[in-house]
Amino acid sequence: MILLNRLLVVAALSLFVLSSMGCVAVKPWEKDLLARPDMAWDEDPRLSTIRDHIHFSKEGSLPAGGGASGGCGCN
Amino acid sequence: MRTRHNQRNRACRWTLQFTCSLIVLALSSPAIAIEPGQKAPNFRAQKLEGKGTLGLSQYRGKVVYLDFWASWCAPCLEAVPALEALRGEFPESKFQILAVNVDKETRKAMKFLEKQKIGYPSVRNPKGDIPEKFDLDTMPSSYLIDQEGVVRYVHKGFRDGDLEVIREEVRRIIK
Repeated sequence: MILLNRLLVVAALSLFVLSSMGCVAVKPWEKDLLARPDMAWDEDPRLSTIRDHIHFSKEGSLPAGGGASGGCGCN
Repeated sequence: MRTRHNQRNRACRWTLQFTCSLIVLALSSPAIAIEPGQKAPNFRAQKLEGKGTLGLSQYRGKVVYLDFWASWCAPCLEAVPALEALRGEFPESKFQILAVNVDKETRKAMKFLEKQKIGYPSVRNPKGDIPEKFDLDTMPSSYLIDQEGVVRYVHKGFRDGDLEVIREEVRRIIK
């Protein structure tokens, strides 16, 4: 029984450690693909700012990125 | 009863040892970041433009500014004209800039160099074993190496005003 328990614990821990070994940090000099414009979260930051501003002005609520203005949608 | 207790203890100890070894194995990293005061690791690599190779040790006796760059790295490209200006400020007999390009596709670096001419040499290292030796943690990273091959200053990133800082460091070492 003890042996079985031990094997189960070892198997679970090994699986955990081996799966975490699969998570490799990308080195700074290997970030060529990540640096591509189409890999950006925000494909057009200026357009997103305008959209956020319109959202804030119309809905009266702030998007997650924050916002500022008088609420008229003109500035 | 006592035997069973001992068996359990032994099993726990064994499991713990096994897990610890696996975790150490998983987290171990062979590279150690190069810091000021340490000897710069030597390397030799193919020139980016033209034929032949260049090695860091061949500049022994000069102050070397070793710059890691890539065509996809915007601040690296910003630094290039600034470094080109810096190169002209010090005599070639005392100061040398050596660039290491880490682009996987060399043609992208060449395309950039067609637009932005540089007077200092650049070597190519698509495999990335040179930055691995220095254990870079950011791009761009630069190392100011003195006449004896010892790293005296490490510059990370590149922003407006950084050139003044680098210039002062070069002056301090060239003296």
